Amino acid sequence: MSLQPPRDKRASLADAVALVSDGAIVALGGGLSARLPMAMVRELIRQGRRGLHLVGSAHSIDVDMLVAAGAVRRCEESYVGFEQDLGLAPAYRRAAEEGSIEMAESCCVNLLAQLRAAEMGVPFLPVRGVRGSDIAALHSEYATIACPFTGETLIAVPALRPDVALLHAPSGDRYGNLHLEQPYVLDERFASASKTVIATVDELVSTEEVVASGITIPGHLVTATVLAPFGAHPASCYPRYAYDRGHLREYVSAAQSGPDDLDKYLATYVYGSEESYQAAIGAERLAALAGWSRSTADWKELFA
Amino acid sequence: MSWTIDEWFVIALARTIRPLETVFHGFGSPCAQVAMHVARRTHAPEMVLIEGAMYAINPDPPFIPPTSNDASLSRGAAYSMRFEEFFDAAIRGDVDRMFLSGGQIDVSGNTNVTAIGPVSRPKVKLGGGGGGCNLSATIGHLTLWTTRHRSGHTLVEACDFITDIGHRTPLGTRAELGFTGGGPQWLVTELGVFDFTGGRARLLQLFPDVSLAEIRAVTGFPLEAVGDLRAVRPPSAAELAAVRSVDPLGVRKSEFSPRELARSFEPGAGPDCAC
Repeated sequence: MSLQPPRDKRASLADAVALVSDGAIVALGGGLSARLPMAMVRELIRQGRRGLHLVGSAHSIDVDMLVAAGAVRRCEESYVGFEQDLGLAPAYRRAAEEGSIEMAESCCVNLLAQLRAAEMGVPFLPVRGVRGSDIAALHSEYATIACPFTGETLIAVPALRPDVALLHAPSGDRYGNLHLEQPYVLDERFASASKTVIATVDELVSTEEVVASGITIPGHLVTATVLAPFGAHPASCYPRYAYDRGHLREYVSAAQSGPDDLDKYLATYVYGSEESYQAAIGAERLAALAGWSRSTADWKELFA
Repeated sequence: MSWTIDEWFVIALARTIRPLETVFHGFGSPCAQVAMHVARRTHAPEMVLIEGAMYAINPDPPFIPPTSNDASLSRGAAYSMRFEEFFDAAIRGDVDRMFLSGGQIDVSGNTNVTAIGPVSRPKVKLGGGGGGCNLSATIGHLTLWTTRHRSGHTLVEACDFITDIGHRTPLGTRAELGFTGGGPQWLVTELGVFDFTGGRARLLQLFPDVSLAEIRAVTGFPLEAVGDLRAVRPPSAAELAAVRSVDPLGVRKSEFSPRELARSFEPGAGPDCAC
């Protein structure tokens, strides 16, 4: 497949997310509470996508909400949860315990090696750990090999080529050039390993501006770019806004209490549009998250 | 000067770090995270501190936030590694120590952060191991910790699911598996401190408000204790000051039950030797 030509990649959120088919292998960018592609997650739920195979490193509300909405067949992340602070992921946990999703928990190192193999166009790469861990038993696609040079026993993990990567960036231009701030997590690897790359950006800027900020992911890897202000919320997208701990708590509490409260959450925040989502969160709250840089005291106050 | 168990616990964790080590903690690990900054501000000013899910090198965060990849955690760092730079360093053997915890920890130091009960239909699906199943094979030494020893369900003879690798698994020892890292070196719990001499957890120290019998009753494997069992050394003023300034939001407390958080201590309140 060729690199993407330098044309105008701007698309609507609905049209871009329509590139994700039922049953697709979907790579979720960002991680934990940072730069999750939440506007696209919400749009996948609005469009009623089903049977997705999710891959990623350590994730939280993005995976849990897709599982809650019935969009997921198989989960292949290294972690899904809300850290020590808010605890286990309620819908993911329930689905795993009921056996209603395929639980293919992975390890960051295996995922990284598998994406690199796809980037390099080779069928597998070896890793040294995993043996002795029961993680290996969740992956019949792994194989044990002997190093042809030393004889060392290693685990071969196959190339992983996601059908589509969903990434969120603070800024980018119409040609798909993206500027990211750390942590980049696996976004760069997803961008070159995946067949299709869709990016949402908080702000569309000129090419000169994105060059001045620094291009982290080049437009020749990106299929479509969507303007989606606060598109990572309730995750953070620095330097623009901090994560919304209060909203994450509200989601976790709804998801813990069961289907009725979860439906209420989805009706309030998701089923409408990104505009109605932002209205439901409230301009004052969004402004407070964007005001993290006023002072250390303001920043700390957001998390107290 | 008085102090609480959460403060003393992170100080005990911090003391497992040696002065020039390169040290990493995983995400969702506030106690280990605070401990690393305490070590760097006290006995290990020249350590290389790799900050959790930001992979920032020697940052000076203004506070520890309740999430592991907030930008506050890279403040003051000249450089943050890419995800792959950190994992490459760890699997080639350039990281000396990592902190690991688990819903279950067994006598060999294997940990389970994946599932309680059978993994096909778990009783409790835990969050997952991040990079642990590879990192535990190659990182120099592991400091394990739990704040849930007293529950009676955490220290077990054998994990229901081995996510991260200790000294011996059903497939063999670390040497037999060809792993280059040294495996678990310490296990710090809210009740006491273990080492892994001979590849099995062995109680070395206990907190002075806890008896050997209490620890035995909540430990799921036959408890081996050293002959000269000691109380954990009390915190120094510098160590306590470091904990309090590193963690003004008190995120470390989120790992403890209310019962544990009520434990407080005064100098000289307990015997130095509990034997």
